[in-house]
Amino acid sequence: MSDALFGRYIPGTSIIHALDPRIKLVLSLVFMVTVFAAGGWIGLGLCALLVIVGYRLASISAREALRAVAPLLFIVVLSALLNVFFVQGGEVYVEFGIICISEEGLKNALYVALRLLLLLMGMSLVTLTTTTLDLTEAFEKLLGPLKVLHVPVHELGMIMGIALRYLPVLSEELRSTYRAQLSRGATFTANPFRGGLTSLTSLMVPLFTGSFRHADTLAEAMEARCYHGGNGVTRLTPLTLSARDAWASVVVCLVLALVIALQFLI
Amino acid sequence: MTTPSTSQGFAEKASCSTSATDSLSATTTKEEVSPSAPVLNTFIRCEDVGFTYDGNHYVFSDLNLTVKAGEFLCLLGGNGSGKSTLARLVNGLLLPDAGMVYTFERSTSDRDQLFFIRSNAGLVFQNPDDQLVASIVENDVAFGPENLGIPNPELRNRVDGALKTVGLSDFALRETNALSGGQKQRVAIAGALALDPALLILDEASAMLDPRGRQGLMELCKELHGQGMTIVMITHFMEEAAQADRVVVLHQGTIVQDGTPQTVLSQESVLESLGLDVPFAASFSQRLRAAGVSLESCVETNKLTEQLLARGVALGFTPDGTLTPGSATDLAPMPPTQAAIEQSLLGFENVSFSYSSPQSSKRKTKRASRNTSPAEPSAAWGGDASNPWALRSISLAIQEGEFLGIAGHTGSGKSTLISLLNGLAKPTEGTVYFRGQSLQDKAVALEARKAIGVVFQYPERQLFAATVYDDVAFGPRQQKLSPEEVEARVRRALELVEVPFDDVYAKSPFALSGGQQRRVAMAGILAMRPEVLVLDEPTAGLDPAGREEILGLIQRLHGQGLTCIMVSHSMDDLARYCTSLLILNEGTLFAEGSPQELFTHPDALHSIGLGVPQAQDLAWTLRKAGWPIPLALYDEQRLATVLLPLLTATEGGDHHE
Repeated sequence: MSDALFGRYIPGTSIIHALDPRIKLVLSLVFMVTVFAAGGWIGLGLCALLVIVGYRLASISAREALRAVAPLLFIVVLSALLNVFFVQGGEVYVEFGIICISEEGLKNALYVALRLLLLLMGMSLVTLTTTTLDLTEAFEKLLGPLKVLHVPVHELGMIMGIALRYLPVLSEELRSTYRAQLSRGATFTANPFRGGLTSLTSLMVPLFTGSFRHADTLAEAMEARCYHGGNGVTRLTPLTLSARDAWASVVVCLVLALVIALQFLI
Repeated sequence: MTTPSTSQGFAEKASCSTSATDSLSATTTKEEVSPSAPVLNTFIRCEDVGFTYDGNHYVFSDLNLTVKAGEFLCLLGGNGSGKSTLARLVNGLLLPDAGMVYTFERSTSDRDQLFFIRSNAGLVFQNPDDQLVASIVENDVAFGPENLGIPNPELRNRVDGALKTVGLSDFALRETNALSGGQKQRVAIAGALALDPALLILDEASAMLDPRGRQGLMELCKELHGQGMTIVMITHFMEEAAQADRVVVLHQGTIVQDGTPQTVLSQESVLESLGLDVPFAASFSQRLRAAGVSLESCVETNKLTEQLLARGVALGFTPDGTLTPGSATDLAPMPPTQAAIEQSLLGFENVSFSYSSPQSSKRKTKRASRNTSPAEPSAAWGGDASNPWALRSISLAIQEGEFLGIAGHTGSGKSTLISLLNGLAKPTEGTVYFRGQSLQDKAVALEARKAIGVVFQYPERQLFAATVYDDVAFGPRQQKLSPEEVEARVRRALELVEVPFDDVYAKSPFALSGGQQRRVAMAGILAMRPEVLVLDEPTAGLDPAGREEILGLIQRLHGQGLTCIMVSHSMDDLARYCTSLLILNEGTLFAEGSPQELFTHPDALHSIGLGVPQAQDLAWTLRKAGWPIPLALYDEQRLATVLLPLLTATEGGDHHE
C-alpha cells in the first residue's frame, strides 16, 4: 500500500547503507549540483554510471529503484514532452499543424529527462538506504551551526522524523476514511457545485481531527518517556565517520570533478 | 540486563538518576551517590486529589489512593470515570488542582522531580499508533534511555534486554509501521522497560487488541510482575482484573471498591450498578451457590473449572474414551451451489483477493519463503504480513433476514471480506453477487453500495460536519433527495439509534460523548435506508455498559427486518446474537454454520487459536471429564439448568449419609 511512497527505507547491510548519513546527504547535494552543471552527454553518462554503481553496491534492483521514484516520474515525462514540442532545430521528423517534432527537440528531451531522472535516483538512493532517524539526525547535525543564529535545529529534526513516521499512518487513515465516506454515498468529484466540496470536507475533517488526536497522545507519550529537547541526549547508533566514508567521498568527488572538468575541456 | 528493578535496585538507581535530574542537560553526570538510600515501600500516594479539565466540572475531588511496591493493581471503571486522568496524574503529565500526588514519595508538582518520576514509572497508552516515535523498532525502544542520556554500551544492552523481555528480539530492525497491533503494544512496553522503571502503568493498553494480543499482553505483565515489577493496569476487561492482586473500581471520580479480585468481582449487583461486567466464573458460581450447591465463590474461570472437576471425580464421573472430540474436518464448510449463490441476497463465488497484483503476489511468496528466518515468531502475534492473499477461494451465500457473525484473528481477512461486500474492493479472482447479479456490473455495484450500509471500525472517526443534522444528512443529500425527505430520514435514523433528535441535531458531533458519537455515525449509515447493515467490530473501544447498549441496538434493528452482518472478536456476543457464523482463518473460510454447530466443536476452534463462549467452554471441559451433559449450545442459564440436578443430587446424598 505504501510501497510506492517516496522515501521508503529498504533495510540492508551494504557499504552504501553503512555510510554516514551526513556524508550521504552532502555527497548527494554535490551530486545534484554536478548533474545540473554537467554540460554534455559524457558528463551525464559518468553521473549515470555513478548512480548505477551506487545502486549496485546497495544491492537495490532496478525495479525497486524505479518504483521508489515512480510517483515523481510524471515530472520527468512532462519536462521531456515540453522539450519535444518547444525545442526546434535539425532534421524535422513530424510536422502536423503547430506540432513539430525535430531532432534537436528529441535530443533535448532525452537529455532533460535523463538529467531529472538522475537527480531523482540520486536523492532516492540516499532515502532508500538511510533510516528516517539517521536522516533526521544528519539533517540536524548539518544544520548544527545554525544554532548560533537561534534556529531550533533539534526541533526541526524531530518534526521531520515524526512527519516521516506518521506518513504511512495518515495515508492508511485517509484510505479508510475514503472508503467509509464512499459507502455513505459520497461522490468524490472535483466540481464544487456538485457536492464535491462537501465530499472533500468529509475526508479532510476526519483526517485533521485524527492528526490532532495523534499529536495529543504522541506529545504525552514522548513526555512520559522523558523527552526534554535535544540537550544531553545520547544515540543508540551514534554517527561516526570511518575510513569508508573518506574513501566514498574521495571516489565520488573525483568522478564529479571529472564531470565538471570535462565541460571545460570539450 | 533489563530485569525490572527490585526495590533495592530501584533505590540505587533512584540515587543515580537524581543526579541526572539535577542537571537535565548533563550527560556526563554519572556519579554514584551513596547506595544507602532508604528502600521505598509506597510507590503511589494520592492525597485528597482534585482535578478538573475545564475549571468547573471536577473529574475527581478528594481522591485517596496508595499503591505499594510490588503490587499488581487493576484499575476498573467505565468511560469517563477518570481512570486515564489518574494515570496521567501519577506520571506528572497532569498536575492535581487540589491535594497532592506523590510518586515514589516525590511530589509530581515539583518540576525538578518529574524527570525522576517519569524515568521510573513507565506509561503505556491505549493506541499503539500514537506512542511510537521512531520508524524502526530498536530506535523507538531507545528513545526513552536516549533522553535520559544513557551512554552506549549500556544503552544498547537496555534496548536489547527490553526487546528480549517482550519477545521481539528478532524484530529490532523492523519498521514499526509493519507490525500488528499486539506487536506495536509490545514495542511500546519495551520502550517503557528500557527506562528501567520500577512501576509500569498500562492505560487501557489492551483495549484495541484482539483476544490473542490481549492475552499475550496479560501474560507479559504477569511475568514482569513475577520479576518484581509493580504494575498498575487500567482496563475494561474483567478477565484481566480477575488475575490481579488488587482491584480498584473508580466511578465518577471516586473509588467505590478496593480489594482483592475475589471480594470485588464477586459482588454481582454492585458491578452491574457501576456499568461493569461480572466475570463469568463469578456470576456462574454465584448462580450455583444460590441454588444450594456448596461451592466456593470464585472469579477466575480456571478455579471454577478445577472445583467442578474435583466434584465430578467425587461423583464418580470418569473420562469417556468414546467421546471423540469434534475435529476440524467436521466443520469444513460445504461450498454452496451456483444456484444457491445466485438466489441469495449476497453471494461469493470462489472469491480471492490480494492487495498487490496476483503476479507480484506470487513473486512475494517466493521471496518471502527465501527470506524467512528459521524461527519466524510473527505467527504467534497476528497475521503474517507477507501472506500475499488477504482472502482465498471464498464461496458463501448470505440470506435475507440473517444475523451473520464473522469471527477470526486480526489479519484473517474479515475487513477485506466487508469491503468486497459492497463493491468498495474488487475481487482479484471470482465474483461477488448481489441478488443474483454480479457486482462487476457498475450499475449493480452502485445499487449494492446503496443497499448495503457499512459501519466501519470506530465509525465516529468519520464524523466531519458542523452539526449532527448535517452529518447524518450527508448521505441522503448526496442522493439529491428533497429537503423534506432528508429531514424525515435524519429524524428516523436518529430515532433508530435512540438519540433524541431535538437535543442533539444542532450540536457539533464532536461535542457528544464517545458512545453518542458512535450512534450518530451509525445514524449516518441508517439514513441511507440500507437493507443490509454491516458492522465491523461495533463495540471496539467501548466500556461494558456501552458495549451492551450498542449490541442491544443492533439486535433491535435486526428485529425490524434489517439483515445484519457483524464482525466481532467476542465469541460470547456472537453466540448470543447471531443466527449463523463464519469463521475465517488466514484468508480462508475455516468454518460456517449456526452457533450451535460451531461451538459444539471447541477443539477445532481452539486449533486455530480461537475460543468459544465461556459457558460453552466449561460445558465441553466437563463433558470431556465424563459428565453426562448433552452436546448443545450453552449459555450461563442453560448450563446451570443442566448442572444443578447433577450437583444437588449429591449434595442431598452427602447430607443423608
